Amino acid sequence: MTLGKAFGFFLREASINLWRSWRVSLLAVLTIAVSLFVGGAFLLASGNLEELVARWRREWKVVVYLQPGVAPPVLTSLEEKVRGTPWVRGIRRVDEAEARDRFRKTFPSLADLVDEGREQMLPASLEVAVAADAGRAEDYQRWVASLGEIPGVALVDDDRDWLAQLATAVSVARALGLGLGLVLLAGAVFTIASVVRLTAYLYHDEIAIMRLVGATEFFIRGPFYAEGLLQGLLGGCLAGGGLFAAWQLLQPRVASSAWGELLLSRFLSPAEIAGLVVLGAGAGLAGAIASLRREKLGATE
Amino acid sequence: MIRFFNVTKTYPGGQLALDDVSFHVPRGEFAFLTGPSGAGKTTLLKLIFREEAPSTGQIVVNGRNVSSIPARKIPFLRRTIGVVFQDFRLIPRKTVLENVTFLPRVLGMDREHQRRLAHDALSRVGLGSRLSAFPLQLSGGEQQRVAIARALINQPELVLADEPTGNLDPDLSREILRLFLEINGRGTTVLLATHDRDTIHRVGGRVLMLEGGRVAGDELISGTEPRPELEARAVEHGSAATPPVTEAEEGGQSGSCAQAPRPAEEVP
Repeated sequence: MTLGKAFGFFLREASINLWRSWRVSLLAVLTIAVSLFVGGAFLLASGNLEELVARWRREWKVVVYLQPGVAPPVLTSLEEKVRGTPWVRGIRRVDEAEARDRFRKTFPSLADLVDEGREQMLPASLEVAVAADAGRAEDYQRWVASLGEIPGVALVDDDRDWLAQLATAVSVARALGLGLGLVLLAGAVFTIASVVRLTAYLYHDEIAIMRLVGATEFFIRGPFYAEGLLQGLLGGCLAGGGLFAAWQLLQPRVASSAWGELLLSRFLSPAEIAGLVVLGAGAGLAGAIASLRREKLGATE
Repeated sequence: MIRFFNVTKTYPGGQLALDDVSFHVPRGEFAFLTGPSGAGKTTLLKLIFREEAPSTGQIVVNGRNVSSIPARKIPFLRRTIGVVFQDFRLIPRKTVLENVTFLPRVLGMDREHQRRLAHDALSRVGLGSRLSAFPLQLSGGEQQRVAIARALINQPELVLADEPTGNLDPDLSREILRLFLEINGRGTTVLLATHDRDTIHRVGGRVLMLEGGRVAGDELISGTEPRPELEARAVEHGSAATPPVTEAEEGGQSGSCAQAPRPAEEVP
């Protein structure tokens, strides 16, 4: 028998097996779907965060907050001092009104705070765009510190500090998600292994007959491996579909909020979805192989 | 076709099933294997199609030493042997056609070829019109005929039957037995295990008697019923009640009955 015909036979038999014991098969499919959904959700969130961090890194800036009522000549002199540095790519003035507008847009639910007239809480500032490789310069840190000593400057905020913290947090979140996904996936593999073993016991007599008429080990085990593969494949597709449906549902509702931008601005790429499905199929196949590794299928003794 | 050389089979736990068994069934012979329950009939059959391996001794089936055959080659041995059981062993969820065509499917034959073979085999057992029935929709006799068709589909040179009439009433038993005689009439070697002495005496032929795991008798008896296929073959080959066995087929030995076992050194 050619390999193609054999696979056709395996898939047909596996589909019949799935249909015949659809309850336990559904359990296995759902288990793997849930684990891949959780793993995929972490991948989605961390992917969006990483992209955001990368974008922020490209837009890296040092914000120089000004004391209230800084005189325009002082401000001009400050701008000139800053502009004279090699890694500065540009300077932008943000007055108090613009700062308030930005706050309202970013945190709509907290807009009342700035509308109550407490203007001091959002001072004017200078946003200094910095070259991406500035952090490597030896005197960069000294330069940032020196900005704080210039008259009229209240506070200097360097993006680099919190971007580094955010990148670490993203890495930790991704590792946690990966760990959780792996634990759930291991559970799913175990479930699939149990279902496949159960099916093998269910078909014990039939397997004995297959042996009797001269079926090879490959031919006997093939349908069970295909069954695990199909369960994993279905679980992967279900997880991918579920993630897309959840993203479609949530994204428009949270798009205008900071969380929306942080976690759900883009969906997983086709390659990432394909990866999830392949992971599911691989886990299913691994479960089936592991479950039957030591079994002598259809043996009469 | 089948040669046993001092074969002993001991199951795990020390239970002795066969003890120093030697015999020879030539190609084309119809032989009964009889004896009381527990005599070792089923074990002997299992050894032939390598469901079990002998503890000591050698077994040669169709020129192949099955005692030392590697596990991966066992399926290929079984494809040359048709086996029929008392409990039919059909797959209930598959149709008659699917049950019968399992081996052709394993062998990768196209559907049309499978169907033709199945139709031929089922026609031989009188079930050519029940291809799409499921086993549980058939009577016991019909199920056994399907099992026989499955055993015949690859046109094996050897058919083994383990109490094939054990679950059937006397009329159906006679019908099934007639089928085995017809199969043998076409040149297929048949070894049929039964403890039904009436059947043996009615049909007659070579009878191997097992008792306590040993060969207690090996004789040729005359049956009370006529066996037209044997008579026809006897006329054709100029001898009575002896199946046609050529010297070339059996390595220089002729005759079928009560031959002295060859020593183990002669095993090919």
